Amino acid sequence: MRYGLPRLRLRFDAPKPGRTTLLALAAGPAPHEAAAAAGFTGASGQAVRLSAPGFPDLVMAGAGAGEARDWERAGGEAMALLLAEPAATAAGPRPTTSLRAGPAEMRPLRRIALDLRGLPAEAAMAVATGAALRGWQPPIRRRGATPRPPRLMLHVIEDEAMAPAFARMEAMLRGVALARTLVAEPANILTPKRFAARMRHLARCGVQVEVFGRSALEAAGAGAILAVGRASANPPRLVVLRWPGEGDPVVFVGKGITFDTGGISIKPALGMEDMRADMAGAAAAAGAILTLALRNSPASACAVLALAENMPGADAWRPGDIIHTLSGRTVETIDTDAEGRMVLADALAWAVRELEPAALVDLATLTGSIVTALGHHRAGLFGNDPPLLAMVAAAGETVGDAVWPMPIAKEHEEALKSDIADLRQCASGKLQPDACHAAAFLRHFAEGVPWAHLDIAGVESREEANWQGPAGATGFGVRLLDALAAARFEDPDRLT
Amino acid sequence: MSDTKPEIAFVKPALPRAGALVLPLPEGTALVGLAAEADAATGGAITRGIEASGFSGRKGQATTLFAPGAGIGRVLLLGLGKPDELTPEDAESAGGALWPGVASATEVLVAADTLPPALAARMALGVVLRGWRFDKYRTTEKPEEKPKAEKVAIATSGVPAAKAAWKPLKAVAEGVFLSRELVSEPPNVLTPAEMADRCKALTRLGVDVEILGPKDMKKLGFGALLGVAQGSACEPRMVVMRWNGARKKGGQPVCFVGKGVTFDTGGISIKPAAGMEDMKWDMAGAGCVVGLMAALAGREAKVDVVGLVGLVENMPGSKAQRPGDVVTSASGQTIEIINTDAEGRLVLADVLWYAQKQFAPKYIVDLATLTGAIIVALGHEHAGLFSNDDALAQKLLAAGTVTGESLWRMPLGEAYDKQIKSDIADMKNVGGRPGGSITAAQFIQRFIDDGTPWAHLDIAGTAWSTKDTATVPKGATAYGVRLLDRIVADHDEDA
Repeated sequence: MRYGLPRLRLRFDAPKPGRTTLLALAAGPAPHEAAAAAGFTGASGQAVRLSAPGFPDLVMAGAGAGEARDWERAGGEAMALLLAEPAATAAGPRPTTSLRAGPAEMRPLRRIALDLRGLPAEAAMAVATGAALRGWQPPIRRRGATPRPPRLMLHVIEDEAMAPAFARMEAMLRGVALARTLVAEPANILTPKRFAARMRHLARCGVQVEVFGRSALEAAGAGAILAVGRASANPPRLVVLRWPGEGDPVVFVGKGITFDTGGISIKPALGMEDMRADMAGAAAAAGAILTLALRNSPASACAVLALAENMPGADAWRPGDIIHTLSGRTVETIDTDAEGRMVLADALAWAVRELEPAALVDLATLTGSIVTALGHHRAGLFGNDPPLLAMVAAAGETVGDAVWPMPIAKEHEEALKSDIADLRQCASGKLQPDACHAAAFLRHFAEGVPWAHLDIAGVESREEANWQGPAGATGFGVRLLDALAAARFEDPDRLT
Repeated sequence: MSDTKPEIAFVKPALPRAGALVLPLPEGTALVGLAAEADAATGGAITRGIEASGFSGRKGQATTLFAPGAGIGRVLLLGLGKPDELTPEDAESAGGALWPGVASATEVLVAADTLPPALAARMALGVVLRGWRFDKYRTTEKPEEKPKAEKVAIATSGVPAAKAAWKPLKAVAEGVFLSRELVSEPPNVLTPAEMADRCKALTRLGVDVEILGPKDMKKLGFGALLGVAQGSACEPRMVVMRWNGARKKGGQPVCFVGKGVTFDTGGISIKPAAGMEDMKWDMAGAGCVVGLMAALAGREAKVDVVGLVGLVENMPGSKAQRPGDVVTSASGQTIEIINTDAEGRLVLADVLWYAQKQFAPKYIVDLATLTGAIIVALGHEHAGLFSNDDALAQKLLAAGTVTGESLWRMPLGEAYDKQIKSDIADMKNVGGRPGGSITAAQFIQRFIDDGTPWAHLDIAGTAWSTKDTATVPKGATAYGVRLLDRIVADHDEDA
């Protein structure tokens, strides 16, 4: 499965003359007159399209100081330029003389050569990463044929580091593409059941897949997931993905609300369609497991996906209801739109009980509060284990999934005191630090296991296309988890 | 007097013949000193009381024994926790915690004779911080509803040492009280002009106070601040308070800048009516700076400090600023007004520019009840810290931890700065809901010169408290006075 990802091929030859070619260069003097005439300086973010000797259609992108992220941006910016004017040449858009040929945008690029022969493996793959992620295509359902994303031919020097770096990148890209595709799918197509069914495909890559339906969840005592999913005609699922390895696993726990109406505490209509992305945490966890499997990671890792649809209905869960969670704790419901922490509570408890985790990392589009706090540029990072949190933050910074540490203070814990149950689900009233309250709530269910919680509301989708991808799903978290696993969980000696 | 608080006296250890006796007791130790004397005088009533109540001396534990004998009205047993873990902060908290238990007694003696005199002084600080009360506007309160304890005696074995330790602490407490009083005052009383007048009182402490009115500010080109003020019948002021306590001349001063919106209706972008009365404390940043100057001058801090406050009232009057207006700040940068309720940053823009131009500070810290977003982000325990300087941020975080005025660092960055790009001016005054307190900080940062270490404290969640804590009664907290006094004491004073 490509999940909308452009096909990539590694080649050890020169790009064919005449083919549309992408060239990334660090800041410096322009390599030829054509580039100089176009004002190309190599500054990060710059991309120009021109004609040069031997290359009638050349896109040059600047990589500034030449850091890994700069190369990636160069690839992304160049791709963005090509997608904006797929049939343009240096002389401008091709004249459309024939009616049959149709307008320019109907004739997409089939192949793009990435001229990476001047670059070492890491930089070369960074350019390719940028181009591939920008070239990713969401699942489009229109009448008529949908053009495929262009193929990317990576022309590199012969170097033994190239093939392993390429394989590693491909694994990561496919994980991100899976996550993005899942996030982009509408809620009538991606129900909890169908999400689970898609997870079964991962078995082909060596992932062990287990799916728990309603009766299994009842037997396990997963009262919180069952409550959230109760009113929907699409019953909930708990999916466990195992990538076996030595030692206790790192467990990625994902919130997977395939659609969130808010339930009885229903959301305003305006913008509700975005709630199809309320399963982005589960998508990221699944994408990360796919990546680890594809690159045959020596880490032991699992994902626990809590999948449910939050609907109002005749038999819906209500504010005021007391829920018996899988952990044994009782929770007083205040707001049925704070459903993410409920399904995560059971998923975390299940992970602690069944998987003996070395560490837990949960991802969830959890609160509007975190968007008010950190906006769309960083996810909120909470947890109970400073070394793990430092590793998560560092991993995120490296790959561009930026996070920011947030507190769980005494007041946040106190806000969860209930008069009639072990915990209140959230506080009521205006101006609540709900992201912190949610994290304080979840901390109980980690039961002291090293745990990190990423509130990814606000970063799971982008409003407008930029160099990192088209508008919509970002796949946030997959690369972070991949980098975290590589840095901390692949050397058994580091597990303490 | 507009406020009341208990007077502190340090006395030699001797058993009282009446009133309340407070026995601060560590965990798991035998009664010694005054406690042992009291036990003997009451025929073992205290030992029996400890046994009967299960009092163990655990930190924060409090038990009252009434009429134990020997004329003593009540004994308050106060747990101090493990004796070798007792910090000055714990002593202060214990001092605050004892107040509610003895406020209704006419005479109070705290048996701090087993503690070092410095800790006895810190305990006294806790007592006054918690015992402070703003009752200027209570005219019909019944006597039995008022606290009776006007004086709290602290028994210590080292009276001179305790008094010496108390002197600077008392000055800081006075600064806290001034700040709390300003924040508590209603907005019809505390207008910008009235607040500026009250700043003048600092001249008694040796502070040089300069007040600038609308004409002065117009000359300086304070278009941003004046734009906020123009909808109100109350004229704006800027107050510059200089304390030159450094021994050496010619050093760079430290600057503290406070937002002082004496009432914030929101202006034309008016706020909802529910809860608007809280907006009297929208001058808490300025209130903190004034209190801080009083604290530093009162304890004769060996440092040069300039405190600046921008005082305005934000009203929807006939001349009020409108959304869509473009104003020119003193720095020359133009600002498109999108929301007249994002006024604090406009006031700060001009005052910060003036502070840097006039004083070339070593570093600059501004405080402002700036955004609701910071409450949604962090709640009421931590104020938001934004800074362009990691070293300054670390110092502030550390000072926050020891003073209990906690901070949490929040991010800045180019991506957030883009949110305040304007189509018509250099910037707009709001960047939307996402990252609302970050974009406010980005706005302020545009008025900070490159190379000037700067920190911005968003204190919207911490300036006012709806419940009592050990040393802060509910209401105005004076958040920031102790924090900034501490950072100056730790890093900026001449040795």
